[in-house]
Amino acid sequence: MDKIKVTVCAGTACFVMGASDLMLIKERLPPEVADDVEISGCPCIEECKGSKNGRPPYVRIDGETIHSANIADVVARICEIRAERRTEAARAQS
Amino acid sequence: MLNLNNNATNIKRDILTRIARLALEGRLREGVFYIPSDIAPKNAKPFRCCVYRDREILRMRVIASLGISTEDCDENGERPLSDYASEALARESPTQPILTVLHEACNACVRSHYMVTNACQGCFARPCMVNCPRKAITVDRHASIDADKCVNCGLCLQNCPYHAIIKIPVPCEDACPVGAISKDETGKEKIDFDKCIFCGMCMRSCPFGAMIDKSQLVDVIRRVMEKDAQGGEGRRVVAMYAPAIAAQFKASPGQLEAALKAAGFDAVYEVARGADVCAEKEAAEFEERMGRGDKMMTSSCCPAYVRAVRLHVPALKGCVSETKTPMRYTAELAKSDDSRCVTVFIGPCLAKKREGIDDPLVDYVLTIEEAGALFIAKGIDVASFSEEARENVPTKEGRGFARTGGVARAVESRLSGAVECRATAVNGLGKSGMKTLAMFGMMNEGKIPLKADSPNLIEVMACEGGCIGGPLVVTNPKVAGALLDEYVEAGAD
Repeated sequence: MDKIKVTVCAGTACFVMGASDLMLIKERLPPEVADDVEISGCPCIEECKGSKNGRPPYVRIDGETIHSANIADVVARICEIRAERRTEAARAQS
Repeated sequence: MLNLNNNATNIKRDILTRIARLALEGRLREGVFYIPSDIAPKNAKPFRCCVYRDREILRMRVIASLGISTEDCDENGERPLSDYASEALARESPTQPILTVLHEACNACVRSHYMVTNACQGCFARPCMVNCPRKAITVDRHASIDADKCVNCGLCLQNCPYHAIIKIPVPCEDACPVGAISKDETGKEKIDFDKCIFCGMCMRSCPFGAMIDKSQLVDVIRRVMEKDAQGGEGRRVVAMYAPAIAAQFKASPGQLEAALKAAGFDAVYEVARGADVCAEKEAAEFEERMGRGDKMMTSSCCPAYVRAVRLHVPALKGCVSETKTPMRYTAELAKSDDSRCVTVFIGPCLAKKREGIDDPLVDYVLTIEEAGALFIAKGIDVASFSEEARENVPTKEGRGFARTGGVARAVESRLSGAVECRATAVNGLGKSGMKTLAMFGMMNEGKIPLKADSPNLIEVMACEGGCIGGPLVVTNPKVAGALLDEYVEAGAD
């Protein structure tokens, strides 16, 4: 299975609204999930420029953007995506 | 203590951003009325009983963010927010006290007490009952505590094998290291400002966000706009940022400098330069004091600590270094470059707001929350700027002031070696930190004997971890620690 790529926007608006906590999200993932996830910070992804895009902080999980991100939501979404992937992979194998 | 980023801090930063935006557009008076209803629209799920109560508390938060004490508010809520905005825009300097309690937001928590939960098994050994020194516990299938007899010692909680007894605290009172917070006749909390050291612990511990610092953001924006309107004639506005601020964004000092200029400041000073001056003078003072036979000297850069000594640990008074703070020395630099300039300190600290009011060379103090709100309102992304060429780069030690241990290290690095230095650091003025201070005070008075290895240079930080763990930071101290390492490493040797 490819690693799930989590990108935390480290732009100013996101940082002011608490993105730094999200940089430490690996510590909050169950160990078996953490191995399948790759977490990195990135320069401003400019989601904050559009008023329709919700509010900072923004996190991208494999291209899907989460706004007003908090640790609990991001962890839950990562676990969901991982579970979906694993079911798909199992189905493909059988 | 609550996590650094939570609903209460997010709402506060959101309000500051909205206020900054309105002030920059020159329509603060007209627009401020709509902030509570914009944040809590009619169909939104209320946090409290109803959206109207939410709005009333938001209104109070807006008043505090305009820099006005909510204790002085009109009780009937008749005075419109636009009036408060006018008051904020008209004032010449920030007002005391720097902290305010939002009466309406305060939960009036039940007095701190112990409670037996349903997990109680009514066991045979009954360690809670046997160990209670006041015979306050009786068991009738289930333990119960007689509140009149209970003295809150906590032995029952420690002895219950089922963890059936819990402590229900009053978070702000528990967090206050100096007993400055107590209930008024209605059960709401009140701060005794004759005792308060402005460490900010209550503010960061209250789950209802009822304690809030009064902002000077509107004042600073007004100064910048006045200057811009007057062309070259106006007073220049300069920013002085604390070392801890360089660790709040993923950006280099050159980028932060460019960003602050884009936000409207005419010049930017690193307070680490003032820290260099401070370390130099403190090292000389240390050698002089030890030479004349003093037992110990403590740092003086943390304003919450200096106030704690003044109000609560008189035995240490003579030991606090008379050297001024890095903020003061940086303001001296700025005023010597341009005596008319308006100086704005930017830091992670609540107590600095008070120090700024007391120091005639410092005109305003912003927190990084407020500076961050200004950045967001102006659409500034710090890391997007190209690095400015920089001169006067402070030393690594000067930049290291932001972390516990850094101040003592900087002083040590400047000693001549004439006297022996035994440095230590008090990392955080919680209740145990205050006890450590009292112990040093007793040593100083000769009530506790000095040993050969007793420390003689004592750095005190009111916040655990140092300024990067300050009450008004936005960046998780763990992440900030790594960013500070980079900043320190790029300092001069």
